[in-house]
Amino acid sequence: MLRFFAFLLCGLLGPTVLSAAVPTPSPKVADAMVRIQATSQSPNYRIPWNSGDVSGGVGAGFMIGKNRIMTNAHVVSNARFLAVSKEGDPQPYPARVLFIAHDCDLALLTVDDPKFFKDTVDLPFGGVPEIESSVSVYGYPIGGDRLSVTRGIVSRIDFQPYSHSGVDSHLTIQIDAAINPGNSGGPVLQDGRVVGVAFQGYSGNVAQNVGYMIPTPVVNRFLKDVEDGSYDKYVDLTISYHPLHNPGMRKALGLPDDDIGVFVGSVHNGGVSEGILQTGDVLLSIDGLPIASDGSVKIDEGNVEMAEVVERKFLGDSVALEILRDGKPSKVTIPLDHTWPFTLQANAYDEAPRYVVFGGLVFQPVDANFMSEHRPEDLRLRHVFDQFVAQGFYTDRSEIVTLSGVLADPVNAYAAPFRYQVVDTINGEKITRIDDVAAAFAKPSDYYAIQMLGLGRPLVLERKAVESARERIQQRYRLTSEENLKK
Amino acid sequence: MKSILTLLFIAGTTAHALAGAAMSPRQSSAIPVGNESLVRVNATAQAFDFFRPWAKKPPAMRRGLGPVVEDGFILVTAELVANHTYIELEKSGTAEKSPATVVAVDYDCNLALLQPTDPEFLASSRPLALDTGARVGDRAVILQLESNDDIAETPAAISTITVAPYPLERLALLTYRLSAPLANREGSFTMPVVRSGRLLGLLMRYDARTQTASLIPSPVIRHFLDDAKDPSQGGFPRAGVAFSSTRDPQFRNFIKLEENGGVYVNHVSPKSPADRAGLQKSDIILGVNDQPIDQDGNLDDPEFGKIPFSHLISTRSHPGDTLTFKIQRDGAVKTLPLTLGSDADDSTPTVSEAYLFDAQPRYNILGGLVFQELSRPYLQEWGTRWQTDAPQRLVYLDAYQEELPPETGKVVFLSQVLPSPDTLGFANLAHLVVKKINGIEIKSLEDVSRAAASPENGFHKITFEEDPGFILLDAKAAETGRDRLMQEYGIPAPDNLTPTK
Repeated sequence: MLRFFAFLLCGLLGPTVLSAAVPTPSPKVADAMVRIQATSQSPNYRIPWNSGDVSGGVGAGFMIGKNRIMTNAHVVSNARFLAVSKEGDPQPYPARVLFIAHDCDLALLTVDDPKFFKDTVDLPFGGVPEIESSVSVYGYPIGGDRLSVTRGIVSRIDFQPYSHSGVDSHLTIQIDAAINPGNSGGPVLQDGRVVGVAFQGYSGNVAQNVGYMIPTPVVNRFLKDVEDGSYDKYVDLTISYHPLHNPGMRKALGLPDDDIGVFVGSVHNGGVSEGILQTGDVLLSIDGLPIASDGSVKIDEGNVEMAEVVERKFLGDSVALEILRDGKPSKVTIPLDHTWPFTLQANAYDEAPRYVVFGGLVFQPVDANFMSEHRPEDLRLRHVFDQFVAQGFYTDRSEIVTLSGVLADPVNAYAAPFRYQVVDTINGEKITRIDDVAAAFAKPSDYYAIQMLGLGRPLVLERKAVESARERIQQRYRLTSEENLKK
Repeated sequence: MKSILTLLFIAGTTAHALAGAAMSPRQSSAIPVGNESLVRVNATAQAFDFFRPWAKKPPAMRRGLGPVVEDGFILVTAELVANHTYIELEKSGTAEKSPATVVAVDYDCNLALLQPTDPEFLASSRPLALDTGARVGDRAVILQLESNDDIAETPAAISTITVAPYPLERLALLTYRLSAPLANREGSFTMPVVRSGRLLGLLMRYDARTQTASLIPSPVIRHFLDDAKDPSQGGFPRAGVAFSSTRDPQFRNFIKLEENGGVYVNHVSPKSPADRAGLQKSDIILGVNDQPIDQDGNLDDPEFGKIPFSHLISTRSHPGDTLTFKIQRDGAVKTLPLTLGSDADDSTPTVSEAYLFDAQPRYNILGGLVFQELSRPYLQEWGTRWQTDAPQRLVYLDAYQEELPPETGKVVFLSQVLPSPDTLGFANLAHLVVKKINGIEIKSLEDVSRAAASPENGFHKITFEEDPGFILLDAKAAETGRDRLMQEYGIPAPDNLTPTK
């Protein structure tokens, strides 16, 4: 549904021809604009020992000072080489990534050649624009090679999923200006200040004139997070909460008819709220802001999801909650931390696929990248992946490991029916991550009995059969390495 | 495999599942079976709607051609009469009609027996005898109703004799596969297959792409007719054992299997005949009744040749029969007598029923919350792609119910919420598995009624396995609002707790 702009940049990589006779739009903004040509290499989760296909794309970026260029994370994800060029300067310069934040789709680049920043301007940031106010979008969308500007109004300010990671939701501003592939990473301006970074939209056959930008609260959070030299990612309460509209339920929980309070559903094991919150607690306020029964709080920018309060915090911060439990109010403070295990279900970038090959059997950990490339139909595998958090499977194993492929050879002639089953144990040792598979096969044993989840028979490999097949399989399948355990 | 087969047995679909080369019908004189042995059957069926368990779906008519068998009954496939509201018989050749009743039905083997209400209706008929012998390569004729009520004949040849899952997938029984070019005709819900004036079987399904027809063969029909005569026979028995092949030489070495044949026991259903006999996971079954079993679980049948050994259990035996299993355990060979039982003897209740026909689905409404018990027909309401389209948690529980603890009972879930002032804010909740109500564990819809009688401090607390954990419902409002709710949504009764079997 949501489509990355960066994915649609094919065929626009021709040389930029500049002509002095053509007037450039809004000279000051044009002097801050950067056209980014990214050459990326996405890993191949079907042949994890291969280095992956190389592809190219074009996105936008803009200068924000201190020789830094802001763009979207998805423009420079998995990048092998980045070339940036300025409006009106034919020379492309090599660039490198300073910081990349996949959870909020933002990145900072720099160019080592100081010549690049000569005669450029830095764009200042503004606040959250008013609904219905007009904005201008700058970028390099399809339809030509040079800078393009489109205008529109602010349609909606809301919490929206960010499709780059697939699991994160942050504050988002919807605008009706035409945003097309190539606009990604470009600034959205109002009164000469950046009020957002264009990043995603709907494809034309789903909705018309719906474009999204990352607003300045999210951008500022990212800039503040990297001030200490590293990006620490978002933090979370690791709970689920639900609106409290039902009059009977409000009465039962001892709440007045004042439309305040949300209901705590799941408190995830191992998360920061475990032992502090419990299912059935009512959250009344967060950092002193009353929480409405639909989960919204009123802040400067208007009514936003209460999660926005947590969103603006950093690793090591804490949040103060007023709660009602068994009819009694109390105050709790929760120190915030990362959102594991949800990250298993997020699209990952700049990571090498991990795998172990033994006797031609390929074992891989199951994550979002794996699922989107393999698209396994196995019901159990889909179930443990989808319900990894909801059913608490992560408390049992930190990773799901599956037999993802069989490099056909006499040694594994009967292994094909086991494909996409979930590995439970090897020689009785529980497999909780891919490293356990490597460790189990490293232990000397005459037989390796691989038991999958469910009621089936074990898959058995004889050590001597595996050893005699080893070289043959490596050569036949161009297996450059039998394992990779590093991300 | 499953996806390419055209399943005739899907309740609610029309009879037009068949497609293939059209056959030119021959003259009726060429029909090897006379009109006096065949009856046209028109059945009107109306299935219940599992999404609205208090309502029925629109009625639909199916037609078939039923052979007259011994004792003046008419044999049809169970699918023809599933969820029937009215069955009408029509004599081939004359327009004479009679209503009929179902005297016996077994959905596992997909067979039913009909009896005309007019005792004179079959007075001049001639019952067809069963042709119980068959070999691969034998020829037969498939009889099919034409739209003009003529009978079309299609020649066929037996290509395989094996044991295969029947359409409802609860049992694997003896099956003949025939290659035949069948045309899509209206009266396709029961098609007799005959040879030299005797009944070889009834057609079960047809795959138009491979032109392969599957047959419910005469030995299965014989078993069913014997059961119908004596209901204490108890149907087609199951041993309750899941096994895998031992073809893999590395696996054979690992389990120290030196004999040439044998299959590995993966799982023994708790309290099944195999469990009672003492069969265990990782036993190796070497033989049954002195007949050796090969690496794939086949034995040499004197009649049918190489055939899965489950044939001895399901088709050849009746509940109460004892078979002798030769097994290898911990390197030693021993024999175990295994006495088969009927489904009723199996004291582990089914978690999720594979099918439910001829009865209204069970439900229980508490203050606008509709509770149902998980069953495959509920999931099948999502259509042919139900395995991926239906709520995945429920699909998973249905598919892997063998792995659930034996004390699971039924999976009770909140199927939908009828929006009303009392359920405000709950309208989005659906397909949540109910763990407890008012502190009482829920293992059936009866438990829901029992728990609803004891609200805590005036509120019902419904605890789910999934998010949001629990909800609270004003017990008094649920009680007083109930009649209005039922009236507004046109629901005739607040529950249906009639046992399904």
